[in-house]
Amino acid sequence: MGVLEDQSGNFALTGIQKYHAQKLAVEEINAEGGINGQEIEMISPDPQSDNQRYQELARRLINRDNVDVLFGGFASSSREAIRPIVDENQQLYFYTNQYEGGVCDTYTWCTGAVPEQQISTTLEFLTNEFGNDIYTIAADYNFGQITAAWYRKIANEVGANIMNEEFIPLDVSQFGSTINRIQEADPDLLVTLLVGSNHASFYNQKNAAGLDVPMSTTVNMAQGYEHRRFDPPALANMYVGVNYMQEIPTERNRDFVDRFYERWPDADYVGQMAQNSYFTTYLYKKAVEKAGTTDQDEVLKVLDEEPITVEAPEGTVTTDPKTHHVTHQIRLARADENHEISFQNQQAVEPYWLRETPYPGCNLASTIGASEDEHTQQFQPKGV
Amino acid sequence: MASILPQLLNLLLQFIDSFGFLVLSAIGLAIIFGMMGVINLAHGEFITVGAYGTALSFHAGLPLPAAMLVGVALTTVFGLILEFTVVRRLYGRLLDSMVATWGISLIMIQGLRIVFGSSLPSIGTPLGSVQYGEFSYSTYRLLLAGASLILLAFLYWVFTSTEFGTRARATIQDEEMSRALGTDTNRMYLLTFGIGSALAGLTGALYAPTMTIVPGMGSTFLVEAFVTVVVGGASVLAGTTGAGLLLGFINAVFSNLFGTFAGRMALLVTTILVIRALPRGITGLLEDVRGGT
Amino acid sequence: MAGETTAGVDRTTSDGALGRLRGALEGPNTLGRGRSFWLGFTVLVGLLLVYPMLRSSYYVSNTAYLLVSAFLGLSLCIVWGYTGIFSFGQVAFYGVAGYTFGIVSINVTGPVGTIAGLLVGIAVAGGFAFLVGYFMFYGGVSDVYVAIITLAVTLVLNTFMGQTAGEEWAVGAARLGGFNGMTEIPSLAIGVGNAAIEITDAAFYYFVVGALLLTYLGLRVLVNSDIGYVMVGIRENQDRTELFGYNTQKVKLGVFTFGGVLAGFGGVVYASWGNYIDPSVFGLTFAALPIIWVATGGRKWLSGAIIGTFAITFISQKLSVFGGQYSLVILGALLLFVILVLPEGFVPQLARKIPAALDRASGGDGS
Repeated sequence: MGVLEDQSGNFALTGIQKYHAQKLAVEEINAEGGINGQEIEMISPDPQSDNQRYQELARRLINRDNVDVLFGGFASSSREAIRPIVDENQQLYFYTNQYEGGVCDTYTWCTGAVPEQQISTTLEFLTNEFGNDIYTIAADYNFGQITAAWYRKIANEVGANIMNEEFIPLDVSQFGSTINRIQEADPDLLVTLLVGSNHASFYNQKNAAGLDVPMSTTVNMAQGYEHRRFDPPALANMYVGVNYMQEIPTERNRDFVDRFYERWPDADYVGQMAQNSYFTTYLYKKAVEKAGTTDQDEVLKVLDEEPITVEAPEGTVTTDPKTHHVTHQIRLARADENHEISFQNQQAVEPYWLRETPYPGCNLASTIGASEDEHTQQFQPKGV
Repeated sequence: MASILPQLLNLLLQFIDSFGFLVLSAIGLAIIFGMMGVINLAHGEFITVGAYGTALSFHAGLPLPAAMLVGVALTTVFGLILEFTVVRRLYGRLLDSMVATWGISLIMIQGLRIVFGSSLPSIGTPLGSVQYGEFSYSTYRLLLAGASLILLAFLYWVFTSTEFGTRARATIQDEEMSRALGTDTNRMYLLTFGIGSALAGLTGALYAPTMTIVPGMGSTFLVEAFVTVVVGGASVLAGTTGAGLLLGFINAVFSNLFGTFAGRMALLVTTILVIRALPRGITGLLEDVRGGT
Repeated sequence: MAGETTAGVDRTTSDGALGRLRGALEGPNTLGRGRSFWLGFTVLVGLLLVYPMLRSSYYVSNTAYLLVSAFLGLSLCIVWGYTGIFSFGQVAFYGVAGYTFGIVSINVTGPVGTIAGLLVGIAVAGGFAFLVGYFMFYGGVSDVYVAIITLAVTLVLNTFMGQTAGEEWAVGAARLGGFNGMTEIPSLAIGVGNAAIEITDAAFYYFVVGALLLTYLGLRVLVNSDIGYVMVGIRENQDRTELFGYNTQKVKLGVFTFGGVLAGFGGVVYASWGNYIDPSVFGLTFAALPIIWVATGGRKWLSGAIIGTFAITFISQKLSVFGGQYSLVILGALLLFVILVLPEGFVPQLARKIPAALDRASGGDGS
């Protein structure tokens, strides 16, 4: 099992969580006899948050170590850097991060949440609660731009109004002018799609400037645990539509969190992406057991034949063979003035967008197993 | 437009904010570069040490001002050690100093990550905010801008009115001559590097309550520091101040009108144009205007 | 002073043409001369050619990939080591060429498209270098200011390319892709239609090694020629060289443009290898890497640049596999060590020690 997670560099904050969660899953599975009696060997070199490393190490894992399955990637760019290599070598690949959606690739399974899942259930609730005027600030790159487009799309559907969108380069850490503009616009809801530690400074600065407005996001808190890292009330009234956060009060999750910290006592947080890596490892186990072999073609066939369910810490997760994504249990999480997290509105949401015809019209189950005729590309929402 | 006054006030505040950020980022680097010809690519990491020192002592219970002093002290000690062991051998070797300090930077960033984890809990920004019209601004950030001015004034006083300052300026102008006249240049360099480090630590300590505390946080200051130092030219004070004014203004105006992306691009493009037009930076311009010293 | 003494040079070649060739290839601006050197060189080339038969395709392909960076290293070596222009921006030309290759080869399909992409990519990189160089050198910018301008240019490209994510950012059929990068770039292929040879795996290896050898030999001739002396003269003392009547601005511009072409070639081959390119090639970290490679190996010598690049990329790759969290720390420490202990780079040190050792081994007659 090849695992490419950043253990150093810019994305190590989340990369290490994912690595730890996956190792926990592997150790648990091995302790119970492995998959079909065989122990999993986890090979995990460190791509150092560097896309060129990702390319080099992906080749190494695929061509030299001949891994049966490849996991990994954090930023979408790292996934896009290795997808050509994955496709060229017909390698089974799991990308376990939340991302901007749209990957329709016969060899790739994306088990993270996608915008239609995270936004569709939450935005309507929020606009009903607070009002229809929305101001968006987003990281100025693919993920930020596409997710902002998704907010636009769904805002149209629920009758809300996006007043303005501001795109901020990733290396900006001083937000004075942005905060002034937000104050001037006086929105009912602020959508924040900020990525990276530079952007996280926004919350502190907003707090200091006395800007107080409800916020909606798909990306903060659940992976970067800002509600723990910043003093209240920086993230007060922050809502995130997410499939998982450490604070979920179900018994199954309490158990998982306990086991995680028992294994990794120095860990800071176990977030959304980490949980994704964890349950995807179990998903792989199920698929291999069903196929009876680790042969990649066979496993891909099993995954395409019919949906497989996994009892994850977040709840029941089901695969969707048509889109190579999964149905998640989406909740609306809220941080209050003391950064206490509460959850509401839990529902299972399918990854419906990729299936829509005529566009994007992704149907990877039309051929069982991988096929040269099937897609290997990423789609974006059009006309928004 | 309904109210021009708050808008102008916005612009002014953003300008002061930007000026303060540029000056504080650059001053430590400017002193070391201006006086010793060493390019310290680990400058961002010095700032990080200041921030980490402050955050760690704050979370251990010290009140914020005391914690900041700890941060500065830590960075100074660290800088002195580094000067003694590494930097000392690199005087006059401008480009080698870049490579060596880049190596130090790599070690420090990853080292901090290994020892302290990927992030420290942050420090809340003190002092609340000040309201004007429909806007509000963080009082602390105003303080930061004020601090940069006080710092410049203080350094000006040191350079012109104290014996140390005079010797320092003599050493910058002509090292051999000033050694011949009795200045212990080695000690001078040690002290200067210490001061440069202390200033970098101060920047880190001051900005710590406004930012996330992660090992890579120095990089956010590095580019700004460099362009300010280079646009400023050889004179530590006049150059840094002048560059801070020019670049701060450009950044504030473009960010205000067109967004942060435009602000960033404008900053970089202005740097390119200024260097081309004024090969010795703003210092060169001032010298020409004054009739050449 | 540039280089070795001329004592001990083997001048006993009898064949005229070979002698002239040797004469062009040897000189004080490069390391290594004499019969034993060229013999060793031939052995090395032989080993390189035989290598694919000895190791599996992954290792072959990976070695070739590590060697691609040597073009970037050589470009910096020519520009900085030989001419004294400290450029932080060689990666800008590398990246621009890579992106151009992607754009052209995606739009013009087929092997011909890839060759066109190669040529256009190099031309665009060279043209861009020409513009930047003209802007700088004819404006009197020098020393550390060149470094800052080239760095600023690179960062502008980084910031700009990072936000080209939307559909509107496409040149024909090729989407720039923003931060996620440009994907599905075809590999270079030589030939026409179905008879084309795709440059992957073993073919890729031979392509890179061949190109590198030619480049190395060609550069040896260049730096040992009259122009080479002018370059070194500019590095040592630009004003004095100007006083001797040389148009230093023109030479610097020419060298810088050529450096852009070299870096561009590397960029095209990189994009072809990974079928992908993204704005991280314009990032601060990557921009500093060529400086590290070349400084460690020995920036004033071509072989220093190549060997240094290969050594550092090889070591840092190994470290990322085995070093875990410590890999960056070790790399930083290595850099410090080299700068403090071997400031000229380790290759010139070796170049001195090896012939001395061979001399002692052969009885030491001091030839």
